Amino acid sequence: MTKLQQDKAASSQAFLADAGPALADLCTACGACFRACPMADHVGLGGADSTAVTHGLRVLARGLAGPAETVTWVGACAKSGLCVEACPEKSRGLDAMLLVRIARQQALGSTKQLAGKRDPTAFPRVKTFARLQLTDEELKKWL
Amino acid sequence: MALTDASPLTGPATTANNERITFWFGCNMLRHAEMIRLSILLLEKAGYDVAAAGGPAYCCGTAHDEQPKAASTMAGRTVQRFNQAAVQDGRGTVVTWCPSCHMHMADIMSPGNKTQFDVAHVTEILAASADKLAPFLTVPVKRRVLLHRHAGFASTHVPVNDRVASLLARIPGIEIVEGTAHPGHMCSALAAVPGALKKAATETWESAKAGNCDTLATIFHSCHREMVALDGRDGISVRNWVHLVAEAMGIEAADAYRGWRHGTAPDIAAIEKADPALFEKLIAPELRKPASI
Repeated sequence: MTKLQQDKAASSQAFLADAGPALADLCTACGACFRACPMADHVGLGGADSTAVTHGLRVLARGLAGPAETVTWVGACAKSGLCVEACPEKSRGLDAMLLVRIARQQALGSTKQLAGKRDPTAFPRVKTFARLQLTDEELKKWL
Repeated sequence: MALTDASPLTGPATTANNERITFWFGCNMLRHAEMIRLSILLLEKAGYDVAAAGGPAYCCGTAHDEQPKAASTMAGRTVQRFNQAAVQDGRGTVVTWCPSCHMHMADIMSPGNKTQFDVAHVTEILAASADKLAPFLTVPVKRRVLLHRHAGFASTHVPVNDRVASLLARIPGIEIVEGTAHPGHMCSALAAVPGALKKAATETWESAKAGNCDTLATIFHSCHREMVALDGRDGISVRNWVHLVAEAMGIEAADAYRGWRHGTAPDIAAIEKADPALFEKLIAPELRKPASI
């Protein structure tokens, strides 16, 4: 059973808006999360300065433009989650994966440093797969 | 016993605890209808009263980071529907399949919405009910199986790799080889990073060969979608863990998606129902896509 956090804000969007700066305040830019990340090598960041990249994480999470290496890194997040345990500030409430997620959202939105990859066919596709396989009763009850 | 479109979805439960749950299967699992049906069947065998929910009307919003307002609205709507099921229908636990949905609920949806339900993953519910399922696992499954694993979700939310391994270990005759835990929480998370999916798929396949495995078992739908395109290569079959559990129960669950990826055409009547134009535009290109390795 996963313990759910309860009702910290009026909406998910409001929660994320509050959480970005709050998590950035907890982050010390020590670089541990970046060094634990298995995706850094995939995007050519294996030799990058981990403290500089994670300093950029704090900047991005506050909605400000971050350095290119940080943007590349957060854009490659695949939710491996190894950053969470690696973070020395975890006990103070820093969820490193959530911080990276918020930084990525800011790079997609506020700072426009990442290009969105919205796929308008995603929902129509799964609905078509559903009609291809489900009975009328399943379609009615499940979707 | 065959599980087909016409099969009844309810099976006799081993014990009548009748806890009422919502099985939230997400959006993309709709490619794999038999996995949804088998999951429901297994939950019912474990004694749960199951109502299934998924598709875009129950979207968590996790794939819509570039549209934060729309994602937040979707999240709020889905939480409301689960609250309604909890309050009005006594379904106080939402049982997930998709790790993206599960993590989004835990990390982003619930802090932004009042939730009146608990959340658990299907593998932890079933692993906890393994003693109830064991009497049904009577058919030996003589396979040497590499379990395709990812680090994500298991490292932060639910020890899903261990839970699936423990369930499969209850199957008579099966041998489990646990492969490397690959980056990401499932294969779709790697698809956007050049080379990452190909590397994980290659390493998985080479591990299966090196381990003399005749079967590769996937845990999540998106991994199955990728790996099933390789089914049959090097004498290795690709199955999802629910397929293997079903096989041990004597249930033949046809993997339609595997057939389509290997050139079998869907039933004409099904294409008519889905809309032939939409099938050609949205489905056929995916089914014709080359395998990742």
